[in-house]
Amino acid sequence: MENSRLSKHTVSFGLALALASVVNGLLVIAKEKIPAVLAGMQILTGHHWVTHSVIILGLFLLGGWLFAQPNAGQGVKLTSNRLIGTLVAGVGAGALLILGFYLVGD
Amino acid sequence: MAHVLFGVACVISSVWVFVETLNVSDTNQARIRKMSCAAATSMWLAFLVAGYWYVCFYKADKAVILKGPWPFAHNFFMESKEHLVILLLMLTTYLPIAAAGNLAANQAARRVVLWVAGLVVMLALMMEGDGAIIAMGVKMGLLAR
Repeated sequence: MENSRLSKHTVSFGLALALASVVNGLLVIAKEKIPAVLAGMQILTGHHWVTHSVIILGLFLLGGWLFAQPNAGQGVKLTSNRLIGTLVAGVGAGALLILGFYLVGD
Repeated sequence: MAHVLFGVACVISSVWVFVETLNVSDTNQARIRKMSCAAATSMWLAFLVAGYWYVCFYKADKAVILKGPWPFAHNFFMESKEHLVILLLMLTTYLPIAAAGNLAANQAARRVVLWVAGLVVMLALMMEGDGAIIAMGVKMGLLAR
């Protein structure tokens, strides 16, 4: 029999992915526009890109865990349409921020 | 370049997941889960190999590109690729999580897997194209010397 409920980790990591994608784009702009941010990221691991990757992947994992905690550990409740919309919008916005910045903002 | 090979393996695995999910039944669910794990593993290998190469060796290529006739190969394509690839890595890591449920009985989970696999394929093909332009940028720079 068909059912339409998503597992808590599908929802929580989907939301975390959308959030981390947008933060990824914003962090690109921040480090390119604010020299102190770039210098700080350089110092943390020896290379700004390594620090950038660790921050975004860490946010993805942390967000996935956090979004699974509400509703007494059952996670955030979301329909598949809402999750897919959020996920595609987040990934799309993150990608457009990066492409747009290097195309016109840099 | 091993990372290109792993990238292609990721594309093939994701296309596989997409097509099998369109035709999902009780008999092919285990294969979908295995191929989604293969896509994630391939992408992690590509990311680690490419990341090591980028951090340790790309500086010389960058200098050649920027002095050559195709500076946009670095200024746009490499700069955007090095950050878009993080999106791709997260999407491929998410694919096995989305494919873990009973896809044959759950239309909602099926739709999520189809969207994620589709996004992975599009983004991974874009990365392959970016890589080709960056390599051409180096060649153009060397030819201009």
